[in-house]
Amino acid sequence: MFATAQYESGDWDSAPFVPANIIDTIARYTEIPVAPIGVVAPLSEERMLRYPLLYLTGHLPVRFNAAEQRNVRRFVERGGLLFVDDHDHDVDGVFHKSATEEIARAAGPLAELPNDHPLYSSFFKFDGPPATSQELNGWGDNLVHTHLLAVQREGRIAVLYSSKDYSSEWNYHPENKRFLAVDNTRFAVNLAVYALTA
Amino acid sequence: MRSRRSRLELGCRIAAFALIGWLIGTSLFPPRPIRTERAAAATIAPRLAAWTRMPPASELHVDLDTVPDPWIVDWLAALRASGHIVRWSGSPSPAAIVAEPVGDPRAHVRVGVASPNGASVVLSDDAALIDTMHVASLGALESVPLVVGALHASVGGQSLEIARPAAVRSRAVFVVGRASWEGKYVATALEEDGWSVIARFAVAPGVEVTEGAPMLDTSRVAAVIALDSTVSRLGGALAGYVRDGGGLILAGTAASAANVRAVAPGVVGGRIRHIVQPAQSIALGATGFYPVTSLAENAVPLERRDGVVAVAVRRIDAGRVMQVGYDDTWRWRMAGAEGSVDAHRTWWSRVVDAVAYVPASPDRAQRASARAAPVARLVERLGPPASASRSNTSGGPDRRILLTLIMICLLQEWSSRRLRGLR
Repeated sequence: MFATAQYESGDWDSAPFVPANIIDTIARYTEIPVAPIGVVAPLSEERMLRYPLLYLTGHLPVRFNAAEQRNVRRFVERGGLLFVDDHDHDVDGVFHKSATEEIARAAGPLAELPNDHPLYSSFFKFDGPPATSQELNGWGDNLVHTHLLAVQREGRIAVLYSSKDYSSEWNYHPENKRFLAVDNTRFAVNLAVYALTA
Repeated sequence: MRSRRSRLELGCRIAAFALIGWLIGTSLFPPRPIRTERAAAATIAPRLAAWTRMPPASELHVDLDTVPDPWIVDWLAALRASGHIVRWSGSPSPAAIVAEPVGDPRAHVRVGVASPNGASVVLSDDAALIDTMHVASLGALESVPLVVGALHASVGGQSLEIARPAAVRSRAVFVVGRASWEGKYVATALEEDGWSVIARFAVAPGVEVTEGAPMLDTSRVAAVIALDSTVSRLGGALAGYVRDGGGLILAGTAASAANVRAVAPGVVGGRIRHIVQPAQSIALGATGFYPVTSLAENAVPLERRDGVVAVAVRRIDAGRVMQVGYDDTWRWRMAGAEGSVDAHRTWWSRVVDAVAYVPASPDRAQRASARAAPVARLVERLGPPASASRSNTSGGPDRRILLTLIMICLLQEWSSRRLRGLR
């Protein structure tokens, strides 16, 4: 079950095609049973704990209310993986600043994830986070981010933070993969396989 | 010349008179009376030396509300062997202690104390107090991570003692299944509890994610946890591993795989589904489970839910196989009430511990000290208590038997004479 995190403060549903696209990718490359449609998991409700892999994105400031903060803390303590992607791809933007602060408050400080981390070889082989066509599109910080950030607990990624704007990169109808020479959602398979096996 | 019949009559008469004479004789000159000594448990020790000097065939009777020290029991047994009649009565509370090594990395010794229900057991070792246990269902179990010297238990006024078993080298747990939340969190829980985990998760056709080197060998792997039908990829070697003493846990639908069907405790039934409300926290089995049906002859149900068996276990040669109907215990860990992470971790660790391979302890008999099961040892050395054993101290045949024989002889003679027409 692929779940998108819903939070009170911002535009949590800014990339509506991403869940369907990732579900399609997982079903296409693996035999992992996956529900055909994603779900929305409100961070303020305890039922968000039923989805051990959560995808969180947006452009606007992220400010967790008390219930959201408590649940995110419990989520990572219990072994969930929260994947946060900056839809602005801007390290000076409000999403980045506010989201990293909230993550630090709820789960701990983010640190650079080494590019030889098992995440990058859990299914497809990558030399680090795959580049996106959004990073140098004139918007955002116009930087190619060579590393993802992560909060790790007991040697496992609890929160994975990306400034690479996968939310834009993967926000298209799965049918349109046929027009791509190389499927740009393959990294999502690594993420799912890592979450399920690490 | 006497006929055969008259000789029979004469024989019967002589026998009857001889028996009557013997009875009269023993009444007039009774055999020397046997000296009987009685003592309670607390007063036995100072009297043992005196009892040892008593003439042979003396009778000693001890009333025991508690079992005396082993050396006293041994002394009484020696007196018994030297020809004295040693008997005991009373009902000291039966109790026994066992200690076995286990493969659980956090609890190296499992201590069991058998005693009547409701008793309190104070468990300690040579260093300090370990715990206090309450006996239910005639026993109490405790897992002890570290034992210094011997283990002692005090229960019902008795002191039990057993030597510490040799430590067992910790072996790995092999988790096999499809990539799933269940597999991830089972492996995580066991690792958190200190187990070394080898995991093999199928991700895509021909693609598996493996952590550690999978090997079906009891020298390296204590137990295999199969989460689904992908266990069939381990082939027939798995059954051999179990027969050699390895533990096997078949969770969810794993027991339906062809290579484990013959060793499974039962058949996988249709899933029982429960509805969980969005606001509800999830407990073990709250979302449903696969019942264990058609139990094998030697299978033992361990847990029932909704009137059906949820967990069962059976022994296959030296190994044990447990069938667990739960297929999504991860929901309990992730979305359970406070403390569910610990509960999930402990539950899985206990499940593994219950079947994990532990090599036979070569020093088992050596460790069973004289204080491990005092009442059993008392019965072994002195026999059952007097009330339960038939005693006979008259030194001759029972008088009722003699009287019956006399009556038979006289009747035989009388009826023979009457048949001949004589008075």
